[in-house]
Amino acid sequence: MDVLFSQLVVLGSSLTLICALMLLWHRHVYAYTTAFAWQSVVLTGIMAVVAYFERDAEMYFVAALFLLLKGWVIPRLLRRIEQPLGDEQELRPYVNTATSLLVCALLVLFAYAVSRPLVALSRLPTRAGMPLALGLIFISLFVIASRKKALTQVIGFLMLENGIALLAVLGTYGIPLVVELGVFLDLLLGVIVMQLVIYHIRDTFESIDVEQLGRLRH
Amino acid sequence: MSAWLVEVFEALFALALAPGLVGLIRWIKARMQSRLGPPPWQPYRELRKLLHKEVVVSDNASWLFRFAPYAVSASTLAIAFLVPLIVVPRRFDMIGDLFVVVYLLLLGTFWLALAGLDPGSAFGGMGASRDVTVAALAEPSTATAIFSLALGAGSTNLGAIVVATLNDPRTVLTPGHLLAFAALFVVALAETGRLPVDNPATHLELTMIHEAMILEYSGRYLALLEWASGLKLFLFLSLLANLFFPWGIAQTMTPAALAWALAVLVLKLVILAVVLAVIETRVAKLRLFRVPELLTASFVLALLAITSSFLLR
Repeated sequence: MDVLFSQLVVLGSSLTLICALMLLWHRHVYAYTTAFAWQSVVLTGIMAVVAYFERDAEMYFVAALFLLLKGWVIPRLLRRIEQPLGDEQELRPYVNTATSLLVCALLVLFAYAVSRPLVALSRLPTRAGMPLALGLIFISLFVIASRKKALTQVIGFLMLENGIALLAVLGTYGIPLVVELGVFLDLLLGVIVMQLVIYHIRDTFESIDVEQLGRLRH
Repeated sequence: MSAWLVEVFEALFALALAPGLVGLIRWIKARMQSRLGPPPWQPYRELRKLLHKEVVVSDNASWLFRFAPYAVSASTLAIAFLVPLIVVPRRFDMIGDLFVVVYLLLLGTFWLALAGLDPGSAFGGMGASRDVTVAALAEPSTATAIFSLALGAGSTNLGAIVVATLNDPRTVLTPGHLLAFAALFVVALAETGRLPVDNPATHLELTMIHEAMILEYSGRYLALLEWASGLKLFLFLSLLANLFFPWGIAQTMTPAALAWALAVLVLKLVILAVVLAVIETRVAKLRLFRVPELLTASFVLALLAITSSFLLR
């Protein structure tokens, strides 16, 4: 049973990592929102698996709340931001697609190297997924650093949150419910504030290209 | 003795059924596009027609042009002996393993590229350069995905990999296995010239990769090259089916087990043909500059496959 638990967890973590790769592979921002929504669904699945195998009823509640917030509410907010912008595409990022994918591979290898002592010391059945969660965090940071559209950076930040949540679930079987609720509230408010900022950027610069923010003349 | 005969029969079976597989994929695509389409045995008729036609060779062509179809067909036929189709473990395993298969494929690509360049036509040169680019980009993915399989089985012999997966059915659900399957599937699309990398049904020369190299061929040379490309598709799909989902393959030499293995192989190939046809109908051909992105993504998947299977050992 332990082996099945471990395999399901690693499978789920790999799927979340692949959803993050979609952010570097596709061009349309619409695809990024879909990737984020699916990643949240997979993460909910991982939480449910952990809750089932560890017989933790509280985790089921956290998973349901996670699905509601990150699988439904936040993707809806993101779609509402996208609609007036039209078909936004990440056409000229700082790092091109093929190089970004190779950098992702290197980041995942780096995550494996960095978390080796952690995985070697841990006795939990979920320890095999921890390097993947760390890799997800690194990849999200890379997305924020290498992409130009403000909306992509917001989605990268949300995936970073997902990565941290995944690491928490795998490493310590979740965090206390009160802390979790606080994090959800902060996240929701953060996304609403980012929505307002994106609207302001678009009104001022006619585009959501963050490179425009660094120029003095237009 | 009978084991060797069975494996020779396997290779001949692949040779005989390969045009049928191509015809089946074409027929399914036609039906999905609301056309009647030619029947699945149309490629056999085309091959018979081509074998009777006269060969016309360009004045600028050298011996390479005449030799290349035989080289390509021979290398693809050699692969047919090494791929586990019906029975494992294989006697032919002592002759070649997974790396030999990869490099036989590359040998075929090499000769076909030379044949495209030889007559000096513009389209042939363009097709040859594109094909070599795709092959070079697909190599790391192939090698890495194969390495992840070999790590799991402890050997690079194809028969040994299949036997290892049969002995431990839980490996099928591991992420390493599934990621390697995804990576090799993308490589299969690239190497056999299917959408989204190359449209096999295109008549526009500027969009061709594989067809551009064989544009100058006619008669029996063209028949050999078409057969070789069909056989390559057959072998790639059966490799995907038998390496990753090997149930049904015979492990004993009894006629019942062999017949069952044959039927299961045909079923798996039909399923993969349907999947391929659906993908080809849904997806548009990628621009050539986007093909490296697809192959890099497949390389990243293969790398993830290695790291997951290496770590879980």
